[in-house]
Amino acid sequence: MIDLTDIHVDGPTGPLLRKTNFSIAAGERVGIVGESGSGKTLLALSMMGMVSDQLTVGGVINVEGRDMTSASEVDWRLLRARRLSMIFQEPMSALNPLRRVGDTVAAPLMRHQGYTREQARARALSLFEETGITEPERRLSQYPHQLSGGQRQRVLIALALACDPALLIADEPTSALDAEVALRITDLLVRLSRERDMALLFISHDLAAVSRTTERIIVMYGGDIMETGSTRTIMHASRHPYTKGLLAARPALSTLGKRRLPTIPGSVPPPQDLPRGCRFAGRCPVEMAHCATERPALILTSTGAAACHRHIADDSGGQ
Amino acid sequence: MTYFLAQRVAGFLLTLFVVSIIVFAVMNVLPGDPALTILGIDSTEDARAALRERLGLNDPVVLRYLRWAMAAVQGDFGISYSFGVPVAELVAERLPLTFTLAIAGTVVTIATALFLGISAAARHGRSGDWAIMLFSQMGIAIPAFWLSMLLVLLFAVKLQWLPPGGFPGWDDPMETLRALVLPTVALALVQAAVLARVTRSAALEVMRQDFVRTAQATGFSPRRILWGHVLPNALIPIVTIVGLQFASLVTGTIVIENVFYLPGLGRLLFQSIGNRDLITVQALVMLFSVFVVTANFIVDIAYVLIDPRLREGRA
Amino acid sequence: MRRLPVNLLIGGALVTLVISAASLSVIWTPHPYAAMDIPNKFAPPSATHWLGTDQLGRDLVSQLMVAAGNSMMVALLAVSIGALLGTVLGLVAAARGGWTEEAIMRLSDLGFAFPTLLFAIMLAAAFGPSLTVVVVAIAFINIPTFARVARASARQVWHRDYVFAARAAGMNRFAISRDHILPNIAAPVIVQATIEFAVAILTEAALSYLGLGAQPPAPSWGRMLSEAQTLMYLAPQLAIWPGLCIFIAVLGFGLLGDGLRDLSDPRLGQRRAHD
Repeated sequence: MIDLTDIHVDGPTGPLLRKTNFSIAAGERVGIVGESGSGKTLLALSMMGMVSDQLTVGGVINVEGRDMTSASEVDWRLLRARRLSMIFQEPMSALNPLRRVGDTVAAPLMRHQGYTREQARARALSLFEETGITEPERRLSQYPHQLSGGQRQRVLIALALACDPALLIADEPTSALDAEVALRITDLLVRLSRERDMALLFISHDLAAVSRTTERIIVMYGGDIMETGSTRTIMHASRHPYTKGLLAARPALSTLGKRRLPTIPGSVPPPQDLPRGCRFAGRCPVEMAHCATERPALILTSTGAAACHRHIADDSGGQ
Repeated sequence: MTYFLAQRVAGFLLTLFVVSIIVFAVMNVLPGDPALTILGIDSTEDARAALRERLGLNDPVVLRYLRWAMAAVQGDFGISYSFGVPVAELVAERLPLTFTLAIAGTVVTIATALFLGISAAARHGRSGDWAIMLFSQMGIAIPAFWLSMLLVLLFAVKLQWLPPGGFPGWDDPMETLRALVLPTVALALVQAAVLARVTRSAALEVMRQDFVRTAQATGFSPRRILWGHVLPNALIPIVTIVGLQFASLVTGTIVIENVFYLPGLGRLLFQSIGNRDLITVQALVMLFSVFVVTANFIVDIAYVLIDPRLREGRA
Repeated sequence: MRRLPVNLLIGGALVTLVISAASLSVIWTPHPYAAMDIPNKFAPPSATHWLGTDQLGRDLVSQLMVAAGNSMMVALLAVSIGALLGTVLGLVAAARGGWTEEAIMRLSDLGFAFPTLLFAIMLAAAFGPSLTVVVVAIAFINIPTFARVARASARQVWHRDYVFAARAAGMNRFAISRDHILPNIAAPVIVQATIEFAVAILTEAALSYLGLGAQPPAPSWGRMLSEAQTLMYLAPQLAIWPGLCIFIAVLGFGLLGDGLRDLSDPRLGQRRAHD
C-alpha cells in the first residue's frame, strides 16, 4: 500500500533519518518502537508529506502505486484528505479549543467529500458511535476542554476515520493517557483496522502497547532501523541487543498499572553526536571494536531482519 | 456566565465613577479659581465673584460634583460658556463625524493588521516576513500628525487628488468620503503597524500548537488552516491590543481632526480650551474617557465570546 | 562573545546621534537658534544654513538641535519620575501582598482609562499649556505601567531560594526589596523605560504640535511642524525635517528597547507588549 525506498531525512546539522526501506501492505498493522529521537516520528511524517521545510527528504515514496517523490504540496494534501490519516500524542492540544468537536469532525467531510452540513453531522455522529464515544449525540456540540483525555483521543480517531483512509498512522496515541484508557484505545485501533481493512502504523516507545496492536514491529534507534520482524519474533526471539534492552526495561505485567517509561542505561545522544557506525554503539552491552565506525547492514533472517555486527559474528562463528 | 457579566458590569460602572471623580477634581479643585481662568487675569474681582456665584462655585465640592454627575448621567452637560448653547447640543452635532472617523480607523486598522500579521507569520523567517516587520517597525515610530502632513503634501498639494482638509458635510457622500480618506489612513496606519506585530507573534505562537498539525494531517490547505484555525486562536491577544488601541484611536481623532480641520469632538475640545470654556472641556474629556472605558469593557466581554473555555466562570 | 542583536546596534546608533545633537546644542549650535534674518527667509540648504532657514530666516539645524534637547529633557524627566514612583509602588505591592497589593493594582488599572494624550489635554486645559504640564502628564500615566512591570518581575524574584534564605535569616521586607529584589528587576524596568522614552518623545511632539506643550519661542519638533503646516504650499520642506527627527528619535529608542529586551531575555525576542 505504501512503499518507501532509500528514504532519508537530513537536518541542518546532519542526517536525522538514515537511508531506510519500509513498506506497509493494505490492511496490515505495523508498529515502530524506539526511544524519543529515534526517527520514528520523522519516518511517519515523511509518509504524510509533512516533514518541516527546514529539513530535506530524499528517496522514493510510493503510495498505492503512485510515486510521490516529486509530488506537489497540493498532491500531498489531496492524499492526506482521502487516503492517509494521522493522530498525535497529545489529545489535549491536538484539537482546536475554540471549535465544537462535532464541527471539527464534520469540517473535512464538508470540505473534501462535498457533504452538506446535515449529512456531515450525521456522519460525525456515526463515527462517534463507531469509536465508542459515550453519549455521542451530546458530545457533538461540546468543546475539547469538556471531554476527558480518552474521549478526546477517540474524537481524533473519529476525525482521522472521517474520509475512510487506507492507512492510519498513530503517533504515540496512548502515551498521554492513563494505563486503562490506553488499553481501550489500542484495542479500538485494532478493531477499527480489522473491521475497515485499514492499514495501521502504530508508533510508540512502549513495546508492550505496540505488541498488543500489531502483526509486525520495526525497532528504531538514532535514525536507523535496528531490527524488524513479526511481533511474535521481536517479543520472544529478538536478535538485536537494543531490542533486548527495550524488552528488559519493560515493566513487568504486575506493575503495568503504574507504567514507567522503559529505560536502557544511558541516554540517546543528540543526532550530531551519534556514532558513525552502529547508532547503538556506546550504549550497547555487547559492543565490539568496529561497531562505532562501521554501519551494520540489515541482514535478513528466516523470521525478520537485524542490523548488528555481533549477530552476524555469532551466526557465522558460533554454530 | 451571569455572574461573570454582573462582575464586569459592576467593574465598568465603578471605573466610570472613579474616572468622573478624577476629571471633576482636575478641572474644578486643583487649578484654584475657574472664574479667573474663564475671565482672564484682566477681569475685576467683582466680576469674578459674580461669576462664581452664578456657577455655584461657592457650594461645597461634593455638592458640585453630585450636581454635575447627576445631570451628566441624564445627558445634561451644562451650558457652554463660549457658544452659549447646551454642551449636549454641541456634542450631538459633532459626534457623528468623530464616531465615523474612529470606527473607520478601527476597521482599516484591523483589516490591514490581520492581513499583514498573518501573511508575515505564514512567511516566518523569509523576506516577506522581514519586509512586513520593517514596515511595522517604521510605522510605529511615525507620529500620526506628521504622517497626515506627508499624506497632504503628496495627495493634496502635489497630486491634488484629495482635499487637504475641511469637511463638506454629509450631503454629498462622495465628497464626504474624499474628505475622510486621508484622515482615516493617517489614523489607521500607525495603529495597524503596532497591531500587525502583535498579530504576527500571536499567530506564530498558535502555529506551534498540535491542532494545527491535526488540521494539516486532515488535508486542509495552509490558507484555510491560517484563517480558520490559527487566526481565531490568536484573537485573544489581538483583541486585547485592539481594545487598548481604540483608546489611542479615539485620542488620535483629537489630533487628526485638528490636522485636517474636521469639525468633530476633538476640534471642539481645542476650540473650548482656546476659549477657556471649562464646562465644555470637562464634558468632552469625560466623554472621551467613557469611550475608552467602554472599549475596554467590550474587550472583556469579547474574550468570553471568543473562547468557550472562559465561559465557565474561570476567568 | 555573543553577537549583539541588530536592533540594539541600529537603535543604539540612532539614539547616540540624537543625544549627541541634543547635548551639543547646550554649548554650541551653528547659529543662535532664535536669530531672525527676514531677508534670508526660506533659504535653501547651503554651506551656512545646512538645511536652510524657516519663514523668519532662522537656521533650521540650530532649531532642530535645541528642539532635540527639549524633547530629550521632557522625556528624561517624565520617564524617570514615572519609573521611580511606579517601581517603588510595584515593589511595595509585591513585598506586602494582600489588600495593599490589590489596592495598588486596582488603582493602576485606572491608568488604562486615561490615554496619555487625553490626560495631558485635561491638565493643559486646567493649568494652561506648558512643558511642565507635559512632563507631569507623561510621568503620571507612566506610573501604572512601571508599577505593573515591577510587581510582575518582583513577584517572581520573591519566590527564589535566596530570598527565602534572606527571610529565614530575619531580613525585613524593606531590606530584601532593596538588596535582593531591586537589582533583579532592574533589567525589565530599564527595557520598559527605553520603550516609554520613545512613547514620551511622540507624546511631547503631539502635544506641542497641538499647542499644549512647548510655548514660543522654545523650539520643539512638534511646534515646528504645526508652524510648517500653515506654510505647506509655500515651503513644504519645512514639514519634512522636524518629522524626520521625531521619527529617528522614536525609532532609535524603540529599537534600543527591543534590542535590550532580546539581550536580557532572548526567549522574549519575538514578542513585544503593546506600546
